[in-house]
Amino acid sequence: MGSKSDQYIDEQDVLKTVLIIGISGGLAQLLAKLILKEKPHWKVIGVDSRSTSNVFKHKNLTSLRIRFSRGSFENLFRDHSFDYVYHLARISSATVYKDLTKRLELNVMGTNRILDLCYRFDVKKIVVLSTFHVYGALDDNGIFLKEDAPLRASIKYPELRDVVEMDQVCSNWMWKYQNEVDSVLLRPCNIIGSQIANTTSKFLMSQFALRPIDYNPVFQFIHEFDMAMVLFRALNDLPTGIYNVATDEFIPLRKALDTIGSKGIPFPITIASALNKILKLSNMEVPEYLIDYLKFSCLIDNSLLKDHLGEDPFRFNIKETLNLIRLN
Amino acid sequence: MLERFTLSEKERAHKDLKFKQLEERYKDYSDPWGFNLNTVKQAMDVVYPLYKRYFRVRVFGLEHVAEEPYMVVSNHTGQVPIDGMLIATAFATELDKPRVVHSMIERFMAGLPFLGDISARAGSILGDRENCKWLLNKGESILVFPEGVRGINKSTQDFYKLQRFSHGFYRIALQSQTKILPISVIGAEEMFPFVFQAGGIGKKFGLPSLPITANLVPLPSPIDIYIGEPIEVSKDLSPEAPDKEIRPHVYNIEKIIKRNIHNGLQSRRKFFEWVRNPINILMNKTF
Repeated sequence: MGSKSDQYIDEQDVLKTVLIIGISGGLAQLLAKLILKEKPHWKVIGVDSRSTSNVFKHKNLTSLRIRFSRGSFENLFRDHSFDYVYHLARISSATVYKDLTKRLELNVMGTNRILDLCYRFDVKKIVVLSTFHVYGALDDNGIFLKEDAPLRASIKYPELRDVVEMDQVCSNWMWKYQNEVDSVLLRPCNIIGSQIANTTSKFLMSQFALRPIDYNPVFQFIHEFDMAMVLFRALNDLPTGIYNVATDEFIPLRKALDTIGSKGIPFPITIASALNKILKLSNMEVPEYLIDYLKFSCLIDNSLLKDHLGEDPFRFNIKETLNLIRLN
Repeated sequence: MLERFTLSEKERAHKDLKFKQLEERYKDYSDPWGFNLNTVKQAMDVVYPLYKRYFRVRVFGLEHVAEEPYMVVSNHTGQVPIDGMLIATAFATELDKPRVVHSMIERFMAGLPFLGDISARAGSILGDRENCKWLLNKGESILVFPEGVRGINKSTQDFYKLQRFSHGFYRIALQSQTKILPISVIGAEEMFPFVFQAGGIGKKFGLPSLPITANLVPLPSPIDIYIGEPIEVSKDLSPEAPDKEIRPHVYNIEKIIKRNIHNGLQSRRKFFEWVRNPINILMNKTF
């Protein structure tokens, strides 16, 4: 039998309603499952502008296909009085949205609208998923970039402008409204796993992955379950701020490919940019910035995250993370 | 010619023993630049015969090296950074407890295909304050050339003229209270005895320098490496102190290295007179 204070916390917990934006994504669904398991009485509303037919069913989960620019999205906030909002709907340039203007509209203006709604409808906390790509993979990168390192990605890669601007919109908003809304901006390293269909996971799992012979950058990886756990714990354990998310471990790319058992195709990345220009003619090019991530390391510092989540908050080490990528 | 590079059985056994010691020392070590013991071994297999037979390196002052991290500070000579490779080989093969000394390389080099990767796997790092801090905290030693590109790319008339040291290395040493180990390398300038620096053209191609030399392959100039006594860094000085406060300490290190260069030049081997004499006549001075 719990104490009076425990009962009070439980009663408070029963009333929580969480909005997850981007619910069709693998990571968002892992997070939803985690929330519903850890907090069985919470209610989760998942929205996505893509189809939500792949979303798992649960009595406390409602998933809706909705565009964030529409009035119906605003009505959701009105109807549900969300306590917490997760914004996991950043659109990558490696997706179907190759047009930067379109992505700027969705990522920057869309995020701005979500933040505005959080403020207007008294959301207690918002957690936004950004990416370590904002720092850029550059040949003069120092090691273990801290959260206050300059976001240099868009200097070299215009196609990452929307990603950097979205991050900056969030951080500016965070400090402006820090007394009204708790907000957490997460910049994770490469999230990989069998359920998350991001470019890095696809690259590592592909038997036709290019295996650089002239460069061997060092990578950090985090398992999708660990990332979902960080997102979940962000609600209670992370105060307003920006946090890099990475484990202590790192691994050179070729060793990572060996660990997974992916032989790949040995290839000089030096000529990849030229090849990409040819592929562009048939609209099959890969984003230019991804080529540089196969050349230069971009490692992030995790000390701020560990200050709040503990010395070793992750379940999987890097070897396990890589080995688990093929499991379904 | 090839047999000149072939090591004796005793030398091969020595190299293998030193690598085994390195293997033991670094079995649990990994760094964020991709350090790889196999690459170190491959590098030793290639460089050690050159070190012993081609450049016939002699090392003086090994007794000054204790089992602790150092900021190894050396003069930089010879157009291509062979001096760094030879110093690293000396630390990997001549010490009772051998170690990998991590050389700081230029940004230009770190970004090059193949070379950037191989040098990182062999233990080199990009010259960056955070990188150095990380290594020193791990108990590793760092090799720095505070003259930078100015030191390595000198024309013939400036051989062995020590260029003014930058201060960054001393600030890093202050921060971590790491001792400075001064090194003077003699003989590397003569690997490329006739040099003209076409820096202007080099800059147009994005190169830090463009030495035009009479020979493309470094000549087998005998190399002497002098290791000075470790220098304690100031305990009262802040790493963020103004340059005018840092300068006297850096100048003191310059003086020690300069003195060792001077002494080394007096006692170096008379091997390559046929190269040095014409230079001396040309420049009307004695090196």
